Amino acid sequence: MKIEASLTQANPLKITKKQNLIIIGLFFLVLLSLFIGFLIGSFNSSFINFISGKASTLENNVLLQIRFPRVILAGLVGASLGISGASLQGLFRNPLADPGLIGVSAGAALGASIVIVLGSNLVPKFLLGSFLLPLSAIAGSTFVILLLYFFTKGFGYRGITYMLLVGIAVNAIASVGIGVLTYISTDSELRGLTFWTMGSFGGVTWPLLVPAVIIICSALVWIIPASRKLDLIQLGEPEAYRLGVDIKKLKYRVIFSSAAAVGASVALSGMIGFVGLVVPHLVRLIGGVSHSYLLPGSALMGAALMINADLLSRVMIQPAELPVGLITTAIGSPFFLWLIFRLKKV
Amino acid sequence: MSIKSESVSVEINGIDILKNINVEVSQGEILTIVGPNGAGKSTFLNVLSGDIEPSEGLVFYDETLLGNIDIEKRSFTRSVMSQSQAMVFDFSVREIIEMGWIDRGISSYAKNFKNAMIEVVEECNVGNLLNQTFNTLSGGEQRRVHFARTLLQLWRPSASDDPRYLLLDEPTANLDLSHEVKLLDIIKNKSRDGFGILLVIHDLNLAAKFSDKIALFKNGSLVKMGSPDEVLTSEILTDVYKIPIDVSENPLSVKYY
Repeated sequence: MKIEASLTQANPLKITKKQNLIIIGLFFLVLLSLFIGFLIGSFNSSFINFISGKASTLENNVLLQIRFPRVILAGLVGASLGISGASLQGLFRNPLADPGLIGVSAGAALGASIVIVLGSNLVPKFLLGSFLLPLSAIAGSTFVILLLYFFTKGFGYRGITYMLLVGIAVNAIASVGIGVLTYISTDSELRGLTFWTMGSFGGVTWPLLVPAVIIICSALVWIIPASRKLDLIQLGEPEAYRLGVDIKKLKYRVIFSSAAAVGASVALSGMIGFVGLVVPHLVRLIGGVSHSYLLPGSALMGAALMINADLLSRVMIQPAELPVGLITTAIGSPFFLWLIFRLKKV
Repeated sequence: MSIKSESVSVEINGIDILKNINVEVSQGEILTIVGPNGAGKSTFLNVLSGDIEPSEGLVFYDETLLGNIDIEKRSFTRSVMSQSQAMVFDFSVREIIEMGWIDRGISSYAKNFKNAMIEVVEECNVGNLLNQTFNTLSGGEQRRVHFARTLLQLWRPSASDDPRYLLLDEPTANLDLSHEVKLLDIIKNKSRDGFGILLVIHDLNLAAKFSDKIALFKNGSLVKMGSPDEVLTSEILTDVYKIPIDVSENPLSVKYY
């Protein structure tokens, strides 16, 4: 029977076999990228020596204190940008929603900058780095998403350009804010600030990384179970409601988890553009659009992509470094143009 | 068992969209709402589905106040088909229909998914479309796929006699003649299976043929409700639509051109 043959799914809440294979493939790609990321760098060290315990103290220090946290951070940031891009595109039903383009990353950067420049006098340094910085970045990104939500109330497909215009405005406001802060900052604060505009994974340490790991992982765990609801909202908000989705709850869930993931990422690595835009589209291209597949797929693909982009940034002009944001933007912006070109035909 | 409105009024920005409507849709019955554009037909359907809160009056599902039934529970009892929005991403037809399946967290129910899917797909004759991208379908095909999704939402194992209701806002829009009649035949079958059905439709002849009861709306008020031959008379229709309308009996047919 023909119909039966095309109904391979035993349960619509589960992903198809092909999608399952892609997820597993991406998972191994992430592992491989992590391994290569650990292995290669401007400081030559033998991973085999490290594993067998024959490495020198210097080698151990470079790998454990510098390279490991850096590669892990790159993976985490890629995962959180990928998944928040995918879930924001789903929630707003807008294929061009990207945390960078719509101003969410800029909001986070402004939040973080405010704390760096104005907060350093008020709070002890250790507290500033590990908790206050990510939290204020999250506050910044939450504020921007709520602002977008307010401006794009009841938005559907027709609002795509409108949302990008709001994003331009928010980006401009944030850059003014960061500009003013740059002007009044001291030398050491300035070094911290400039790093946000380009994005980099350099300089991360375990004490800085741990809170971000906790925040980002909980955001991912919170959003993935909402996948099917994100599918249903594609029918339009009234239809999703009629299928039993509490729209308000879903919105809060997507907004706050994306804001938390993006905020924590930006706090540690600065603004890294286009990953949230490119990754979900690539994942859709290879395996389909259902969010139960798209969200984990985007997290994995984002992680793999970012670890490799960071690797490129480290080795291309050794022993110096390119900002990783430069690399992702170089890959992402032509893709953005291609997307706009394709949208026009729809 | 029924869905009913008691003295429902809806006022939006100071304009009365619906005025004091009392309508009851019982199980096993097709109630069709007809009336000119802007009469409040769709708004009333949205009040019954729970999309819009009435400014005054109450809505009951099987004697329970609608407001006291949580959003998920409502989706077990009634499904709604109305003008749908464009899909942004390229979902397949299969995925769109599957969206109608609501996992109730009961494994004995969930294991029926495949059977339910086959039944609905065959009933609506959309098997040849399953692997296509929804966005590439014609308007009429898209309507049929949405209709299949609407039916899947209310699918039950044959032993079940839970009340269930279909609220359909112009389900035959964009359909060709043969699909229009086929779809209405399916709706008629569903009413025989015990579904309570509220239908909004413009074609008065189809309304006459397929309805058990007709409710005629005008300017937010219920002009008349009753069996097709009580409501569809020359005098009433000419008065409501403001053009000369002839009605002949046996079979009941409406002529307006």
